[in-house]
Amino acid sequence: MDKQLDLLQGTLDMLILKAVSLGPLHGYGILLRIQQISKDRLEIQQGSLYPALYRLEHQGWIASEWGESENKRKAKYYRLTAAGKRRLQAETENWNSMADVIAAILGTKPEEI
Amino acid sequence: MTFWNRLRSWWRVILDRSRLENDMDAELRFHVEAFAEDLVRSGMARQEAMRRACLEFGGIERTKEECRDARGANILEALAQDLRYGLRMLRKNPGSTAAVVLALALGIGLNATVFSFVNALLLRPPTGVEAPEKFFQLWLHQRGTSGIEGYLPLTYPDYVYYRDHNQSFTGMLAFDGDPESVIWNRSGEGQVVLGQLVSGNFFSLLGVNASLGRTFLPEDDQPGNPHAVVVLGHRFWQQHLGSDPKVVGKSLLLNGTSFTVIGVAPGGFAGLLVAIEPDFWAPVTVAEQILHDAGRLTSRQGYWLFAVGRLKPGVDAPRAGAEVNLLAQLIEQEHPDTNKNLGANLFPATLVPGPYRGYVSAFTGLLLAVFGLVLVIAGVNAATLLLARATGRAREMAIRSALGAGRGRLIRQMLVESTLLSGLAGCLGLLLACWTSPLLLALKPAGLPITLRVPLDWRVLLFTLLVSLFTGIVLGLTPALRSVQVQVAPILKDEAQSASYRKSRLRSFLMIAEIATCMVLLVGAALCVRSLLNANSIDPGFDTKHVAIATLDPGSLGYPEAKVRGFYEQLSRQISALPGVSSASFVNHLPLGTAREQSAAIEGTHSASGQNGVSVDVLRVAPGYFETMGISLLRGRDFLPRESEAPGGATGGVAIINDAMAQKLWSSQDPVGRRITLGEDTGLEIIGVVKTGKYRTLGEDPIPLVYLPRLPGRRTLVVRTSGDPRFLLDAIRREIQAVDASIAATDLETIEQYMALPLFPARTMGLLLGASGILALVLTSIGLFGVISYMVSQRTHEVGVRMALGASQHEVLKLVVGHGLTMALIGLAVGLAATFGLTRFLSSLLYGIQPSDPATLLGVSVGLIFTASLACYIPARRAMSVDPIVALRYE
Repeated sequence: MDKQLDLLQGTLDMLILKAVSLGPLHGYGILLRIQQISKDRLEIQQGSLYPALYRLEHQGWIASEWGESENKRKAKYYRLTAAGKRRLQAETENWNSMADVIAAILGTKPEEI
Repeated sequence: MTFWNRLRSWWRVILDRSRLENDMDAELRFHVEAFAEDLVRSGMARQEAMRRACLEFGGIERTKEECRDARGANILEALAQDLRYGLRMLRKNPGSTAAVVLALALGIGLNATVFSFVNALLLRPPTGVEAPEKFFQLWLHQRGTSGIEGYLPLTYPDYVYYRDHNQSFTGMLAFDGDPESVIWNRSGEGQVVLGQLVSGNFFSLLGVNASLGRTFLPEDDQPGNPHAVVVLGHRFWQQHLGSDPKVVGKSLLLNGTSFTVIGVAPGGFAGLLVAIEPDFWAPVTVAEQILHDAGRLTSRQGYWLFAVGRLKPGVDAPRAGAEVNLLAQLIEQEHPDTNKNLGANLFPATLVPGPYRGYVSAFTGLLLAVFGLVLVIAGVNAATLLLARATGRAREMAIRSALGAGRGRLIRQMLVESTLLSGLAGCLGLLLACWTSPLLLALKPAGLPITLRVPLDWRVLLFTLLVSLFTGIVLGLTPALRSVQVQVAPILKDEAQSASYRKSRLRSFLMIAEIATCMVLLVGAALCVRSLLNANSIDPGFDTKHVAIATLDPGSLGYPEAKVRGFYEQLSRQISALPGVSSASFVNHLPLGTAREQSAAIEGTHSASGQNGVSVDVLRVAPGYFETMGISLLRGRDFLPRESEAPGGATGGVAIINDAMAQKLWSSQDPVGRRITLGEDTGLEIIGVVKTGKYRTLGEDPIPLVYLPRLPGRRTLVVRTSGDPRFLLDAIRREIQAVDASIAATDLETIEQYMALPLFPARTMGLLLGASGILALVLTSIGLFGVISYMVSQRTHEVGVRMALGASQHEVLKLVVGHGLTMALIGLAVGLAATFGLTRFLSSLLYGIQPSDPATLLGVSVGLIFTASLACYIPARRAMSVDPIVALRYE
């Protein structure tokens, strides 16, 4: 399973929320964290990350502020807001139940019908 | 919550655009550089690493643009672009732009005018008052009655009770609900001024400070020992006292009593009553001195004071309402004879008092509805024009859509254009409102002592803005939705040349709606105009041409009765001697005015209590009244001079009755010589019968009426002349001055001018509806003309083919006019149906005509069809003159 997977439509937002829920991160850091957790199996277009970040901030699910990076440079850090936390929870539940349903359908054997 | 967040983040972007750009730059640069550093660390050359990083990131500018979109930063740019483009489009079609703007401006402007009146009467709080929403007005209400007649203002003892016993208000003030005309003796010359009696806490409770001197103090209105002081109205002080800065301390002789000026009210403050601007305010406790009306302050039956309380902090209106009702019950127990069944209600203290608001709202609401219809017609007119233009722009829309413009963008473009149009129209409409408001105010009869301020304040501006915006959006929506349904390919390939069937169907539908609306307005207008003509020709029972009138009140100067009588006798002699005067007489008040005296009459000489008499109106007249007013004496004789001097209340008095009264009591027998009892007057001998006239309103059924010969001090002089009474007015004024210089006549006018008052409602309604009807007709004809012209221009080719194939000019005419007339007929039928439902609301305003008057309906229908034919005929002539060769070669 070394092949990289394309991101499913609409899941990037959820992944970003999850990534920043583990602690404040800058944009590049979010990218690295998602790749690290997924063990490099997910392919994320770097350019598509930022519009998603701006959209999430616009909706009030994440907040940003300027801070200093590990190598002493100015970087914009994102953190999860209270509304974002609720949102992440809702999306996670939604995703899990959806995954269960899909898995059940795909796992159906002829004799079960 | 996320909505506010979005709004906040959007505002931040709009306000500080450069910060967003800098942040974005820094953030993206950090990302690329951090990525490159990681690559260097993994062993890549620095230059190569930077190149890789940029490459993997993708298009930086595109990312930035997407980020800006995500934050909503681009909306303003796009809007500005749409605006520029929209303005260019409007300039490109100056003709149709002007037509649409003008039609809408008329519609919006008239609505703004009517609304400015609604605002002045119902929405505007009293000016100059601190926290007007905290004030509530107290009204007595006869339990078990409905309608406005059940409400009464307060008597002075009632007011004092409520003021001293309530727990809900920080204070309760009172003022004279019907301000008094008072004669100001200005070094020998009388001038009528308007005074309002108010409680001592009036100004302090309202938070109004004097612009000069001081306002009233509690000790100014001590009952029994009041100070004779006045606060002047700001306008009166400016206009009649030349803004005298040393006016405080001077004295004015008002109704024969000297009053000291203690202050001047601030400019703009005119009390708490709509359309009344008092010239001065005086403490309520001087009522008996200034009005020479003993007992005004002790009477438990003279309801004349409007009481207003200011709520204590923490007390709400329902609680205060419950409390005053409780107080009403306590008064009822204490004074069961006068206050039986009198409850108390609270209303917000508005310029039009609470119980009357329903009537005013109904009237102004009707006007708003009428002019709303005019706006609908103007809007439909504009919509047909815009729709025609949208059809012409299908190609442009197709090109823009092919170049990648989104649906939303195209819709927005159309909406921006229509809103631009309606916005321009709104500005023009406001100008129109500035001009028409004073014009409408000029309709009021001169005799009404009212000064209505109709400011164009923020409420009117907001209303106009909302109406303009709404009109713009509704107007743009149809063509906008239409334009995005455009099928790009066929249009660009020039295949869709002729207008599609659906489009012309929508236009026809709009046209039919316009004609139907126009029909409703025209019927309303025609009914009102005809009723006005009827009202003008109603016989009020007296001569409305050759009489001059003047109201006099020497009693208000505190003259003794003998002096009053002497004054009138001398005046009567002098006036009768004037050239052209055939007779002169007096009446206590003219019929059809605002004053009324009622009593109960029974046949016979004894006032049998418990027996219900006939309810009659009473007028008190001097000898010669009937002759002067041209009222014919049917039987018996007129009063004699000595009869009008006999003391009242004694047996043996005389009375004259009208025909309606004679019919009611004695049907066909001769009433002369019989006796009636009228209230206190027992055994009045009937000496004459006169023709019945109109006494309360022009539309009334015959009312029984009794004329008595004894007159009070306040009288109306009536003078009959063979010529034009206008030329007599100056002579009458001079004679009054000559007899007694300190007496000034109020309402010195001709009887024709006086009749403006009873005719006022019908006249106003007739004028407004007539104007709206004509406007509707003009707009509809223009609209029909436009639609048919457009249709002809679209069908030039078809007409050419038909004519080439042998169709005669006559057949072409039939084709075009037929199409227009079909629409007109359908619109007419729809309008007629709507008319039956809507004109019912007019019936109370109509004199002698039914809302479903067949002649009116027929006349309006024929007129509308005729106008419609004319509007179709002109473009049809153009179609007839189409040269088939030219039309076909054009292809």
